[in-house]
Amino acid sequence: MTAPTFKLTELMAIRCAKEINDGEVVFVGVGLPLVVAGFAMVSHAKNMVMFTEGGAIRATAAPGLAITVDDPCLFTNADASFGMLSTMAALQRGEVDVAFIGGAQIDKFGNINSTGAGDWSKRESFTYFAGSGGANDMATSGKRVLAIMPQDKKKFVEKVEYLTTPGFLGGPGEREKLGMIGGGPDCVVSTMGVYRFDEDTKEMYLAEYFPGQTVEKIKAACAWDLKVSPNVIETPSPTEEELAIIRGIDPTNFYLG
Amino acid sequence: MDLDKRMTLKDAVAKYIQDGDTVYYGGFQIMVPMALTHEIIRQKKRHLTTIESSTDVGGLDILVGAGCVTEIHSAWIMNWYVKAPYAIRRAFNKGHLKRYDISNFGATSALIAGFLGIPFIPVKGNIGTDMPKHNPTDIRFVEDPFTGDKTTVVRAWRADVAVIHAQKADRYGNVVSYGTRGVTDEFGAMGSKRGVIVTCEEIVEPEEIRSDPDRVIVPYYKTLAVVHCPYGAHPSACRGYYGLDIRFSQYQGKYERHEELLPEFLNEWVYGCADHAAYIEKYKATFGQEGLDRLKPVLGFKPKLDVDYGYHDPACWKGVPLYSDDRLKAYEEALAAKKGGK
Repeated sequence: MTAPTFKLTELMAIRCAKEINDGEVVFVGVGLPLVVAGFAMVSHAKNMVMFTEGGAIRATAAPGLAITVDDPCLFTNADASFGMLSTMAALQRGEVDVAFIGGAQIDKFGNINSTGAGDWSKRESFTYFAGSGGANDMATSGKRVLAIMPQDKKKFVEKVEYLTTPGFLGGPGEREKLGMIGGGPDCVVSTMGVYRFDEDTKEMYLAEYFPGQTVEKIKAACAWDLKVSPNVIETPSPTEEELAIIRGIDPTNFYLG
Repeated sequence: MDLDKRMTLKDAVAKYIQDGDTVYYGGFQIMVPMALTHEIIRQKKRHLTTIESSTDVGGLDILVGAGCVTEIHSAWIMNWYVKAPYAIRRAFNKGHLKRYDISNFGATSALIAGFLGIPFIPVKGNIGTDMPKHNPTDIRFVEDPFTGDKTTVVRAWRADVAVIHAQKADRYGNVVSYGTRGVTDEFGAMGSKRGVIVTCEEIVEPEEIRSDPDRVIVPYYKTLAVVHCPYGAHPSACRGYYGLDIRFSQYQGKYERHEELLPEFLNEWVYGCADHAAYIEKYKATFGQEGLDRLKPVLGFKPKLDVDYGYHDPACWKGVPLYSDDRLKAYEEALAAKKGGK
């Protein structure tokens, strides 16, 4: 039997879905998280509760591929749709288990930048991205943060140029000092591997590398001196069945292209 | 009451939007008031400030690119389909645009504070990041008067006028938006000081709307103008009417990207069209009826829940003696005897 061929974006999505436990309340951000959440809901996490910024609360996967977080299909046969107020308020009440976000740039403490590149104060050279969206609220108050983003050296940086969404900020204890109710980053899944955060230093480290990747290649695609778990493992390749599910969710490769 | 608020797009914008206004910009990633965006550009409104939570099809990007907006308070703006806010980026770089960043729930909370008529509201997000550093206009920290803890607060946002798109409205201005309850439109619109301009896919009879008042996000007294405007959110989506026109957003985005090209787009698709109906005609002439047909949504999801808003007539109590029992009677008699004995 030959192993199935797959794209790294497909493995990224499938591996990331496994970080969601059945029954959890997951606040699903824009982009790749929408595909991953759909995968989780039809595979191992059938009792997952899906929240979106647009205000949909769902017990079932959306009937179509959601392009945005207030995509009409997210509200078709939803369990509730009160608008952004309802899902964001649940975050502040501490009811969200997983804050699931993408981002443009992440640093070694899991802080995320989706506002722009460069020094904001020097306005003529600052390159604006979209802004925080709901990621800041999600990462502040969700019990744990799950992040997914393609990897390269410009995206995995030592320190984000603009801190939009809090990870562990400058290090241990800083979130607690500011009264944040959420526990901060727990896991990051990229196109190269899986990362977790050291309990003491709060620094991101490599826990798994994807098939075809090596620790050396991954370290080279990371702008700081990335620490590697002594127990680092190779992520298992996806099964045919898993690939069929993910390809069924995004048949035109809108997200996974 | 018989105040007909129907008017043309042109009259609504001319009459109710002034240079220098703060405008609540409706929609999110769908229900974006694109017809109103185009009309504001056509009428060359200037020095507008916009407030909203998030917007995603490039409507605000072309409004900035056309020189109408000089100040933006928002959590998220781009044309999602080209993954950038190009005109906003350029305007910020040149110093033509002030930008005030905040989180999505920070923005929503600011709109809710405006809706509630209170000066500010506590939120949990934003603290610890660069947003409060660069945006003390909207985000500050105070001591919780009850616990003494450091608390993030955001300033109330109240627009002079709100621009929104909805599925249905009646001639009086009762506005129906369903599927998300407006995301944040109900707060931005109701918090506005002068009132709301609404474009809608359909004008329906007031009796139809009054038969289902739970779906009204803006009641008529708050509405300034009702504009019948099919495809008024295009290229964003209008639930139940059309989906996101991803190809057109990408097309528009290519023009947004290049400073030299954007005026060509505006000339052709905005200034060159007398109104939104002309814009849609131009769309059909350029991309064919099949372009519009592709946007047709999957329908057949009407509510199955049987709901009756019936009421009860208290006239039925007329002539019905008060309910009592032996215990109450005995207690009341004893109480009366005690009072009589004094």
